[in-house]
Amino acid sequence: MLRQYLICQSIILYAKALSNMLKLQKLTKQFWLGSKPFTAVNSLSLEVATGQVFGFIGLNGAGKTTTIKMITGLLFPDSGQSSWKKQDSTSVESKKKFGFMPEHPQFHRHLSATEVLSYVGELFEIDPTIITKRTKVLLKQVGLADSAKIPVRNFSKGMRQRLGFAVALINNPELLILDEPLDGLDPIGRAEFKKLILEQKAANKTIFLSSHILSDIDEICDQIAVIDKGKLLFIGSPKKLTGGKKSLEAAFVELVR
Amino acid sequence: MKTIWVIARNTFIETIREKILYAIVGFSLLVIVASLLAGSVSLGQDVRVIQTFGLTAMTVFLLVITIFVGSHLLYKETEQKTIYLTLTKPVTRVWFYLGKFVGLSLVIGASALLMGLVYVILLWAKTGFVAPANYWAIGFTILEAWLVVAVGMMFGSFASPISSALYSFGLILIGHSTTTIHAIAQKSAPTIRYLLEGVYYAFPNLEKFNLRNEVVYAISPNPTQVITTLIYFVAFTALLLALGIAVFRKNEF
Repeated sequence: MLRQYLICQSIILYAKALSNMLKLQKLTKQFWLGSKPFTAVNSLSLEVATGQVFGFIGLNGAGKTTTIKMITGLLFPDSGQSSWKKQDSTSVESKKKFGFMPEHPQFHRHLSATEVLSYVGELFEIDPTIITKRTKVLLKQVGLADSAKIPVRNFSKGMRQRLGFAVALINNPELLILDEPLDGLDPIGRAEFKKLILEQKAANKTIFLSSHILSDIDEICDQIAVIDKGKLLFIGSPKKLTGGKKSLEAAFVELVR
Repeated sequence: MKTIWVIARNTFIETIREKILYAIVGFSLLVIVASLLAGSVSLGQDVRVIQTFGLTAMTVFLLVITIFVGSHLLYKETEQKTIYLTLTKPVTRVWFYLGKFVGLSLVIGASALLMGLVYVILLWAKTGFVAPANYWAIGFTILEAWLVVAVGMMFGSFASPISSALYSFGLILIGHSTTTIHAIAQKSAPTIRYLLEGVYYAFPNLEKFNLRNEVVYAISPNPTQVITTLIYFVAFTALLLALGIAVFRKNEF
Protein backbone atom coordinates (compact mmCIF):
# COMPACT_ATOMS: atom_id res chain seq x y z
CA MET A 1 0.00 0.00 0.00
CA LEU A 2 2.73 2.41 1.09
CA ARG A 3 4.81 1.41 -1.90
CA GLN A 4 1.95 2.18 -4.30
CA TYR A 5 1.39 5.53 -2.59
CA LEU A 6 5.06 6.44 -2.93
CA ILE A 7 5.08 5.44 -6.60
CA CYS A 8 1.99 7.61 -7.20
CA GLN A 9 3.59 10.56 -5.42
CA SER A 10 6.77 10.14 -7.47
CA ILE A 11 4.75 10.12 -10.70
CA ILE A 12 2.87 13.26 -9.61
CA LEU A 13 6.12 15.05 -8.69
CA TYR A 14 7.72 14.01 -11.99
CA ALA A 15 4.69 15.22 -13.97
CA LYS A 16 4.76 18.51 -12.03
CA ALA A 17 8.47 18.93 -12.69
CA LEU A 18 7.92 18.36 -16.40
CA SER A 19 5.04 20.83 -16.63
CA ASN A 20 7.08 23.49 -14.82
CA MET A 21 10.11 23.16 -16.95
CA LEU A 22 12.04 25.50 -19.13
CA LYS A 23 11.64 24.29 -22.67
CA LEU A 24 13.57 25.36 -25.76
CA GLN A 25 12.13 24.19 -29.06
CA LYS A 26 14.20 24.39 -32.22
CA LEU A 27 15.65 27.74 -31.20
CA THR A 28 17.65 29.28 -34.02
CA LYS A 29 19.55 32.54 -34.30
CA GLN A 30 21.61 33.80 -37.16
CA PHE A 31 23.82 36.90 -37.30
CA TRP A 32 25.35 38.57 -40.29
CA LEU A 33 29.12 38.99 -40.26
CA GLY A 34 29.50 41.43 -43.14
CA SER A 35 27.72 39.71 -46.00
CA LYS A 36 28.14 36.20 -44.54
CA PRO A 37 25.49 34.61 -42.33
CA PHE A 38 26.69 33.03 -39.08
CA THR A 39 24.41 30.63 -37.25
CA ALA A 40 25.05 31.21 -33.55
CA VAL A 41 22.32 28.82 -32.36
CA ASN A 42 21.09 26.07 -34.64
CA SER A 43 17.72 24.44 -33.97
CA LEU A 44 18.43 23.98 -30.27
CA SER A 45 15.92 21.95 -28.29
CA LEU A 46 16.19 21.02 -24.62
CA GLU A 47 14.17 20.76 -21.44
CA VAL A 48 15.11 21.65 -17.89
CA ALA A 49 12.93 20.12 -15.17
CA THR A 50 12.12 21.81 -11.87
CA GLY A 51 14.62 21.56 -9.05
CA GLN A 52 17.58 20.76 -11.28
CA VAL A 53 20.93 22.45 -11.55
CA PHE A 54 21.36 22.40 -15.29
CA GLY A 55 24.79 23.13 -16.72
CA PHE A 56 24.94 24.61 -20.20
CA ILE A 57 28.48 24.12 -21.40
CA GLY A 58 30.45 24.91 -24.49
CA LEU A 59 33.55 26.61 -25.81
CA ASN A 60 33.75 30.39 -26.20
CA GLY A 61 31.41 31.43 -29.02
CA ALA A 62 29.49 28.14 -28.88
CA GLY A 63 26.15 29.97 -28.55
CA LYS A 64 25.57 29.83 -24.78
CA THR A 65 25.05 33.56 -24.20
CA THR A 66 23.00 33.92 -27.39
CA THR A 67 20.68 31.17 -26.14
CA ILE A 68 20.35 32.81 -22.72
CA LYS A 69 19.64 36.17 -24.34
CA MET A 70 16.83 34.58 -26.35
CA ILE A 71 15.36 33.01 -23.20
CA THR A 72 15.37 36.39 -21.44
CA GLY A 73 14.14 38.44 -24.40
CA LEU A 74 17.28 40.43 -25.13
CA LEU A 75 17.53 38.77 -28.57
CA PHE A 76 14.72 37.56 -30.80
CA PRO A 77 15.03 34.04 -32.23
CA ASP A 78 14.81 33.71 -36.02
CA SER A 79 12.72 30.60 -35.43
CA GLY A 80 11.75 28.30 -32.60
CA GLN A 81 10.56 29.23 -29.16
CA SER A 82 11.49 29.22 -25.53
CA SER A 83 8.86 28.65 -22.85
CA TRP A 84 8.52 28.44 -19.08
CA LYS A 85 5.50 26.63 -17.65
CA LYS A 86 4.08 26.55 -21.17
CA GLN A 87 4.23 30.36 -21.43
CA ASP A 88 6.58 32.38 -23.61
CA SER A 89 9.70 32.81 -21.48
CA THR A 90 10.04 36.44 -22.58
CA SER A 91 6.56 37.39 -21.33
CA VAL A 92 6.17 39.70 -18.33
CA GLU A 93 4.44 36.89 -16.41
CA SER A 94 7.32 34.46 -16.97
CA LYS A 95 9.98 37.04 -16.13
CA LYS A 96 8.33 37.66 -12.75
CA LYS A 97 9.55 34.15 -11.81
CA PHE A 98 13.07 34.51 -13.22
CA GLY A 99 16.29 35.63 -11.64
CA PHE A 100 18.94 36.51 -14.20
CA MET A 101 22.62 37.21 -13.89
CA PRO A 102 24.39 38.21 -17.15
CA GLU A 103 27.96 37.27 -18.00
CA HIS A 104 29.46 40.58 -16.86
CA PRO A 105 26.85 42.25 -14.67
CA GLN A 106 26.74 46.02 -15.13
CA PHE A 107 24.86 48.54 -13.04
CA HIS A 108 24.06 52.23 -13.19
CA ARG A 109 27.35 53.65 -11.99
CA HIS A 110 26.05 56.31 -9.61
CA LEU A 111 23.84 53.92 -7.65
CA SER A 112 24.92 52.03 -4.54
CA ALA A 113 24.39 48.27 -4.12
CA THR A 114 21.36 48.97 -1.91
CA GLU A 115 19.87 51.32 -4.51
CA VAL A 116 20.42 48.76 -7.28
CA LEU A 117 18.60 46.06 -5.31
CA SER A 118 15.85 48.47 -4.39
CA TYR A 119 15.41 49.48 -8.05
CA VAL A 120 15.22 45.86 -9.22
CA GLY A 121 12.94 44.90 -6.34
CA GLU A 122 10.54 47.68 -7.32
CA LEU A 123 10.55 46.45 -10.93
CA PHE A 124 9.24 43.16 -9.52
CA GLU A 125 6.65 45.19 -7.57
CA ILE A 126 7.88 43.75 -4.28
CA ASP A 127 6.72 45.48 -1.10
CA PRO A 128 9.37 48.07 0.00
CA THR A 129 9.68 46.60 3.51
CA ILE A 130 10.37 43.16 2.03
CA ILE A 131 12.92 44.70 -0.37
CA THR A 132 14.73 46.29 2.60
CA LYS A 133 14.81 43.00 4.50
CA ARG A 134 15.90 40.93 1.51
CA THR A 135 18.55 43.48 0.55
CA LYS A 136 20.21 43.17 3.95
CA VAL A 137 20.10 39.36 3.89
CA LEU A 138 21.31 39.07 0.29
CA LEU A 139 24.15 41.57 0.63
CA LYS A 140 25.32 39.64 3.68
CA GLN A 141 25.01 36.33 1.83
CA VAL A 142 27.12 37.52 -1.10
CA GLY A 143 29.65 39.26 1.14
CA LEU A 144 28.80 42.86 0.25
CA ALA A 145 27.26 43.99 3.55
CA ASP A 146 30.12 46.43 4.20
CA SER A 147 29.90 47.90 0.69
CA ALA A 148 26.14 48.45 0.64
CA LYS A 149 26.33 52.25 0.36
CA ILE A 150 29.34 52.56 -1.97
CA PRO A 151 28.61 53.64 -5.57
CA VAL A 152 28.80 50.62 -7.85
CA ARG A 153 31.33 52.38 -10.11
CA ASN A 154 33.93 51.74 -7.39
CA PHE A 155 33.24 47.99 -7.32
CA SER A 156 35.79 45.44 -8.55
CA LYS A 157 34.79 42.78 -11.10
CA GLY A 158 34.28 40.21 -8.35
CA MET A 159 32.09 42.63 -6.35
CA ARG A 160 29.92 43.32 -9.39
CA GLN A 161 29.61 39.57 -9.88
CA ARG A 162 28.46 39.20 -6.26
CA LEU A 163 25.98 42.04 -6.64
CA GLY A 164 24.74 40.44 -9.86
CA PHE A 165 23.97 37.28 -7.94
CA ALA A 166 22.13 39.22 -5.23
CA VAL A 167 20.09 40.99 -7.94
CA ALA A 168 19.16 37.60 -9.44
CA LEU A 169 17.80 36.48 -6.06
CA ILE A 170 15.89 39.62 -5.00
CA ASN A 171 12.53 38.29 -6.25
CA ASN A 172 13.00 34.83 -4.72
CA PRO A 173 12.85 33.35 -8.25
CA GLU A 174 11.65 29.92 -9.30
CA LEU A 175 14.16 29.80 -12.15
CA LEU A 176 17.68 31.18 -11.87
CA ILE A 177 19.47 31.85 -15.15
CA LEU A 178 23.16 32.43 -14.58
CA ASP A 179 25.52 33.23 -17.45
CA GLU A 180 29.08 32.34 -16.43
CA PRO A 181 28.41 33.06 -12.75
CA LEU A 182 31.77 31.79 -11.56
CA ASP A 183 33.81 33.78 -14.05
CA GLY A 184 36.06 36.41 -12.46
CA LEU A 185 35.72 35.09 -8.93
CA ASP A 186 38.64 34.07 -6.73
CA PRO A 187 38.68 30.48 -5.34
CA ILE A 188 36.94 31.52 -2.12
CA GLY A 189 34.32 33.44 -4.07
CA ARG A 190 33.72 30.43 -6.31
CA ALA A 191 33.32 28.13 -3.32
CA GLU A 192 30.84 30.59 -1.76
CA PHE A 193 28.90 30.90 -5.01
CA LYS A 194 28.68 27.14 -5.43
CA LYS A 195 27.37 26.91 -1.88
CA LEU A 196 24.74 29.55 -2.64
CA ILE A 197 23.71 27.76 -5.84
CA LEU A 198 23.30 24.48 -3.96
CA GLU A 199 21.27 26.29 -1.29
CA GLN A 200 18.93 27.50 -4.02
CA LYS A 201 18.68 23.96 -5.34
CA ALA A 202 17.82 22.73 -1.84
CA ALA A 203 15.00 25.28 -1.85
CA ASN A 204 13.64 23.50 -4.96
CA LYS A 205 14.71 26.27 -7.36
CA THR A 206 15.62 25.45 -10.92
CA ILE A 207 19.05 26.68 -11.95
CA PHE A 208 20.18 27.06 -15.53
CA LEU A 209 23.81 28.06 -15.64
CA SER A 210 26.35 28.37 -18.40
CA SER A 211 30.02 27.88 -17.78
CA HIS A 212 33.21 26.59 -19.24
CA ILE A 213 34.75 25.80 -15.86
CA LEU A 214 34.03 22.08 -16.06
CA SER A 215 35.26 21.09 -12.59
CA ASP A 216 32.60 23.37 -11.08
CA ILE A 217 29.92 22.05 -13.44
CA ASP A 218 30.82 18.48 -12.48
CA GLU A 219 30.53 19.40 -8.83
CA ILE A 220 27.12 21.08 -8.81
CA CYS A 221 25.10 20.05 -11.88
CA ASP A 222 22.52 17.27 -12.09
CA GLN A 223 22.17 17.55 -15.85
CA ILE A 224 24.31 19.10 -18.53
CA ALA A 225 23.93 20.09 -22.14
CA VAL A 226 26.96 20.48 -24.38
CA ILE A 227 26.66 22.94 -27.22
CA ASP A 228 29.15 23.56 -29.99
CA LYS A 229 28.83 25.90 -32.98
CA GLY A 230 25.22 26.44 -31.97
CA LYS A 231 24.29 22.75 -32.05
CA LEU A 232 23.40 20.52 -29.17
CA LEU A 233 25.91 17.67 -28.93
CA PHE A 234 24.89 16.05 -25.67
CA ILE A 235 22.25 16.21 -22.97
CA GLY A 236 22.21 14.09 -19.83
CA SER A 237 23.97 13.66 -16.52
CA PRO A 238 27.70 14.43 -16.20
CA LYS A 239 28.17 10.78 -15.29
CA LYS A 240 26.55 9.70 -18.54
CA LEU A 241 29.02 11.83 -20.49
CA THR A 242 32.09 10.64 -18.61
CA GLY A 243 30.93 7.04 -18.46
CA GLY A 244 32.23 7.10 -14.91
CA LYS A 245 35.75 6.50 -16.21
CA LYS A 246 37.25 9.81 -17.31
CA SER A 247 37.09 13.42 -16.14
CA LEU A 248 34.32 15.68 -17.44
CA GLU A 249 36.97 17.84 -19.09
CA ALA A 250 38.44 14.87 -21.00
CA ALA A 251 34.97 13.70 -22.05
CA PHE A 252 34.01 17.23 -23.13
CA VAL A 253 37.17 17.73 -25.20
CA GLU A 254 36.63 14.38 -26.87
CA LEU A 255 33.05 15.30 -27.70
CA VAL A 256 33.66 18.72 -29.23
CA ARG A 257 36.81 17.82 -31.19
CA MET B 1 2.31 52.70 -14.83
CA LYS B 2 4.15 51.88 -11.62
CA THR B 3 7.02 50.27 -13.54
CA ILE B 4 7.30 53.33 -15.80
CA TRP B 5 7.57 55.49 -12.70
CA VAL B 6 10.25 53.22 -11.14
CA ILE B 7 12.35 53.46 -14.33
CA ALA B 8 11.74 57.22 -14.54
CA ARG B 9 12.85 57.77 -10.95
CA ASN B 10 15.97 55.68 -11.49
CA THR B 11 16.79 57.64 -14.66
CA PHE B 12 16.29 60.91 -12.79
CA ILE B 13 18.55 59.85 -9.89
CA GLU B 14 21.23 58.51 -12.23
CA THR B 15 21.19 61.63 -14.45
CA ILE B 16 21.22 64.26 -11.71
CA ARG B 17 24.34 62.63 -10.28
CA GLU B 18 26.21 63.29 -13.54
CA LYS B 19 28.80 66.02 -13.07
CA ILE B 20 28.34 67.25 -16.64
CA LEU B 21 24.74 68.20 -15.82
CA TYR B 22 25.90 70.37 -12.92
CA ALA B 23 28.45 72.02 -15.22
CA ILE B 24 25.82 72.87 -17.85
CA VAL B 25 23.19 74.04 -15.34
CA GLY B 26 25.82 76.03 -13.39
CA PHE B 27 27.03 77.72 -16.55
CA SER B 28 23.47 78.50 -17.64
CA LEU B 29 22.78 80.15 -14.26
CA LEU B 30 25.91 82.26 -14.70
CA VAL B 31 24.75 83.35 -18.16
CA ILE B 32 21.28 84.21 -16.82
CA VAL B 33 22.89 86.30 -14.07
CA ALA B 34 25.11 87.89 -16.72
CA SER B 35 21.94 89.27 -18.32
CA LEU B 36 22.14 91.91 -15.55
CA LEU B 37 25.44 93.04 -17.01
CA ALA B 38 24.03 93.05 -20.54
CA GLY B 39 21.06 95.05 -19.26
CA SER B 40 23.25 97.61 -17.52
CA VAL B 41 25.05 98.55 -20.75
CA SER B 42 21.83 99.05 -22.72
CA LEU B 43 20.28 102.48 -22.87
CA GLY B 44 17.06 102.39 -20.86
CA GLN B 45 16.21 98.92 -22.15
CA ASP B 46 17.72 96.97 -19.26
CA VAL B 47 14.55 95.04 -18.26
CA ARG B 48 13.86 94.15 -21.88
CA VAL B 49 17.43 92.92 -22.33
CA ILE B 50 17.32 90.92 -19.09
CA GLN B 51 14.08 89.24 -20.22
CA THR B 52 15.24 88.42 -23.75
CA PHE B 53 18.75 87.45 -22.69
CA GLY B 54 17.58 85.40 -19.68
CA LEU B 55 14.83 83.50 -21.49
CA THR B 56 17.02 82.85 -24.55
CA ALA B 57 19.83 81.54 -22.32
CA MET B 58 17.35 79.29 -20.58
CA THR B 59 16.00 77.89 -23.87
CA VAL B 60 19.46 77.34 -25.34
CA PHE B 61 20.87 75.60 -22.26
CA LEU B 62 17.81 73.42 -21.77
CA LEU B 63 18.10 72.32 -25.39
CA VAL B 64 21.82 71.65 -24.89
CA ILE B 65 21.03 69.39 -21.91
CA THR B 66 18.23 67.76 -23.85
CA ILE B 67 20.33 67.05 -26.93
CA PHE B 68 23.36 65.97 -24.92
CA VAL B 69 21.59 63.69 -22.46
CA GLY B 70 18.67 62.65 -24.69
CA SER B 71 20.85 61.38 -27.51
CA HIS B 72 23.08 59.43 -25.07
CA LEU B 73 20.32 58.02 -22.89
CA LEU B 74 19.50 54.79 -24.75
CA TYR B 75 22.98 54.41 -26.22
CA LYS B 76 24.58 54.50 -22.77
CA GLU B 77 22.18 51.85 -21.46
CA THR B 78 23.00 49.59 -24.42
CA GLU B 79 26.73 50.28 -24.54
CA GLN B 80 27.28 49.84 -20.81
CA LYS B 81 24.87 46.86 -20.80
CA THR B 82 22.89 48.33 -17.91
CA ILE B 83 19.84 47.71 -20.11
CA TYR B 84 20.14 44.01 -19.15
CA LEU B 85 19.35 44.95 -15.57
CA THR B 86 15.93 46.30 -16.57
CA LEU B 87 14.82 44.48 -19.71
CA THR B 88 15.34 41.00 -18.23
CA LYS B 89 12.88 41.90 -15.46
CA PRO B 90 9.06 42.00 -15.85
CA VAL B 91 9.32 45.12 -17.99
CA THR B 92 8.11 45.60 -21.55
CA ARG B 93 10.19 47.65 -23.94
CA VAL B 94 7.38 50.19 -24.17
CA TRP B 95 7.47 50.75 -20.38
CA PHE B 96 11.26 51.02 -20.47
CA TYR B 97 11.19 53.62 -23.25
CA LEU B 98 8.44 55.66 -21.60
CA GLY B 99 10.20 55.43 -18.23
CA LYS B 100 13.38 56.83 -19.75
CA PHE B 101 11.39 59.63 -21.40
CA VAL B 102 9.62 60.60 -18.17
CA GLY B 103 12.90 60.38 -16.20
CA LEU B 104 14.76 62.69 -18.55
CA SER B 105 11.77 65.03 -18.72
CA LEU B 106 11.92 65.27 -14.93
CA VAL B 107 15.61 66.20 -15.13
CA ILE B 108 14.78 68.87 -17.73
CA GLY B 109 11.86 70.09 -15.60
CA ALA B 110 14.04 70.36 -12.48
CA SER B 111 16.82 72.18 -14.38
CA ALA B 112 14.25 74.54 -15.93
CA LEU B 113 12.71 75.31 -12.55
CA LEU B 114 16.12 76.16 -11.14
CA MET B 115 16.98 78.39 -14.10
CA GLY B 116 13.48 79.92 -14.02
CA LEU B 117 13.81 80.65 -10.31
CA VAL B 118 17.09 82.52 -10.82
CA TYR B 119 15.55 84.42 -13.76
CA VAL B 120 12.44 85.40 -11.76
CA ILE B 121 14.51 86.48 -8.73
CA LEU B 122 16.71 88.64 -10.97
CA LEU B 123 13.70 90.22 -12.63
CA TRP B 124 11.96 90.83 -9.32
CA ALA B 125 15.12 92.33 -7.81
CA LYS B 126 15.37 94.68 -10.80
CA THR B 127 11.73 95.73 -11.21
CA GLY B 128 9.94 94.59 -8.03
CA PHE B 129 7.35 92.89 -10.29
CA VAL B 130 7.24 89.80 -12.50
CA ALA B 131 4.54 89.79 -15.17
CA PRO B 132 2.62 86.46 -15.59
CA ALA B 133 3.85 86.34 -19.19
CA ASN B 134 7.28 85.40 -17.79
CA TYR B 135 5.87 82.29 -16.12
CA TRP B 136 4.04 81.32 -19.30
CA ALA B 137 7.27 81.74 -21.27
CA ILE B 138 9.14 79.47 -18.83
CA GLY B 139 6.35 76.89 -19.03
CA PHE B 140 6.34 76.90 -22.83
CA THR B 141 10.15 76.58 -22.87
CA ILE B 142 9.83 73.44 -20.74
CA LEU B 143 7.25 72.02 -23.17
CA GLU B 144 9.61 72.67 -26.06
CA ALA B 145 12.46 70.94 -24.23
CA TRP B 146 10.23 67.92 -23.46
CA LEU B 147 9.28 67.67 -27.12
CA VAL B 148 12.98 67.74 -28.03
CA VAL B 149 13.59 64.94 -25.47
CA ALA B 150 11.20 62.81 -27.53
CA VAL B 151 13.08 63.86 -30.70
CA GLY B 152 16.49 62.98 -29.20
CA MET B 153 15.26 59.63 -27.93
CA MET B 154 13.64 58.78 -31.26
CA PHE B 155 16.92 59.40 -33.11
CA GLY B 156 18.81 57.69 -30.26
CA SER B 157 16.76 54.52 -30.79
CA PHE B 158 18.57 53.83 -34.07
CA ALA B 159 21.50 56.25 -34.46
CA SER B 160 24.80 56.80 -32.66
CA PRO B 161 24.89 59.61 -30.07
CA ILE B 162 26.76 61.99 -32.40
CA SER B 163 24.40 61.37 -35.32
CA SER B 164 21.43 61.59 -32.99
CA ALA B 165 22.65 64.91 -31.54
CA LEU B 166 23.24 66.30 -35.04
CA TYR B 167 19.81 65.19 -36.27
CA SER B 168 18.18 66.70 -33.16
CA PHE B 169 20.07 69.95 -33.66
CA GLY B 170 18.99 70.04 -37.32
CA LEU B 171 15.40 69.41 -36.34
CA ILE B 172 15.50 72.24 -33.78
CA LEU B 173 16.86 74.62 -36.44
CA ILE B 174 14.13 73.60 -38.89
CA GLY B 175 11.54 73.64 -36.10
CA HIS B 176 12.34 77.28 -35.35
CA SER B 177 12.23 78.19 -39.05
CA THR B 178 8.98 76.53 -40.09
CA THR B 179 7.05 79.83 -40.09
CA THR B 180 9.64 81.30 -42.46
CA ILE B 181 9.58 78.10 -44.55
CA HIS B 182 5.78 78.34 -44.78
CA ALA B 183 5.98 81.98 -45.83
CA ILE B 184 8.54 81.15 -48.54
CA ALA B 185 6.35 78.24 -49.70
CA GLN B 186 3.44 80.60 -50.35
CA LYS B 187 5.56 82.63 -52.75
CA SER B 188 7.24 79.71 -54.54
CA ALA B 189 6.54 77.75 -57.71
CA PRO B 190 4.08 74.81 -57.19
CA THR B 191 6.72 72.03 -57.00
CA ILE B 192 8.85 73.86 -54.47
CA ARG B 193 5.73 74.98 -52.62
CA TYR B 194 4.59 71.37 -52.08
CA LEU B 195 8.08 70.41 -50.93
CA LEU B 196 8.34 73.28 -48.46
CA GLU B 197 4.80 72.74 -47.22
CA GLY B 198 5.70 69.10 -46.67
CA VAL B 199 8.60 70.24 -44.48
CA TYR B 200 6.29 72.67 -42.68
CA TYR B 201 3.78 69.96 -41.75
CA ALA B 202 6.29 67.14 -41.12
CA PHE B 203 8.48 69.01 -38.65
CA PRO B 204 7.33 70.36 -35.31
CA ASN B 205 6.82 74.10 -35.29
CA LEU B 206 8.93 75.02 -32.25
CA GLU B 207 8.14 78.71 -32.65
CA LYS B 208 4.76 77.89 -31.11
CA PHE B 209 6.61 77.59 -27.80
CA ASN B 210 8.47 80.90 -28.16
CA LEU B 211 6.85 83.64 -26.07
CA ARG B 212 9.92 85.86 -25.71
CA ASN B 213 8.45 88.68 -27.78
CA GLU B 214 5.19 88.58 -25.81
CA VAL B 215 7.12 88.71 -22.51
CA VAL B 216 8.73 92.00 -23.49
CA TYR B 217 5.25 93.54 -23.82
CA ALA B 218 3.90 91.59 -20.80
CA ILE B 219 1.29 89.85 -22.96
CA SER B 220 0.15 86.51 -21.56
CA PRO B 221 -1.09 83.89 -24.04
CA ASN B 222 -4.87 83.66 -24.34
CA PRO B 223 -6.62 80.39 -23.31
CA THR B 224 -7.07 79.31 -26.95
CA GLN B 225 -3.33 79.71 -27.60
CA VAL B 226 -2.52 77.74 -24.43
CA ILE B 227 -4.89 74.90 -25.31
CA THR B 228 -3.83 74.66 -28.97
CA THR B 229 -0.15 74.69 -27.96
CA LEU B 230 -0.78 71.96 -25.38
CA ILE B 231 -2.66 69.83 -27.92
CA TYR B 232 0.13 70.42 -30.44
CA PHE B 233 2.74 69.41 -27.84
CA VAL B 234 0.87 66.24 -26.79
CA ALA B 235 0.16 65.18 -30.38
CA PHE B 236 3.71 65.69 -31.66
CA THR B 237 5.33 64.19 -28.56
CA ALA B 238 3.05 61.13 -28.74
CA LEU B 239 3.88 60.71 -32.43
CA LEU B 240 7.62 60.95 -31.78
CA LEU B 241 7.38 58.52 -28.85
CA ALA B 242 5.38 56.07 -30.96
CA LEU B 243 7.99 56.22 -33.75
CA GLY B 244 10.85 55.77 -31.25
CA ILE B 245 9.10 52.86 -29.53
CA ALA B 246 8.38 51.18 -32.88
CA VAL B 247 12.13 51.16 -33.62
CA PHE B 248 13.22 50.33 -30.06
CA ARG B 249 10.91 47.29 -29.87
CA LYS B 250 12.84 45.70 -32.73
CA ASN B 251 16.28 46.38 -31.25
CA GLU B 252 18.39 43.48 -29.99
CA PHE B 253 20.89 43.70 -27.15
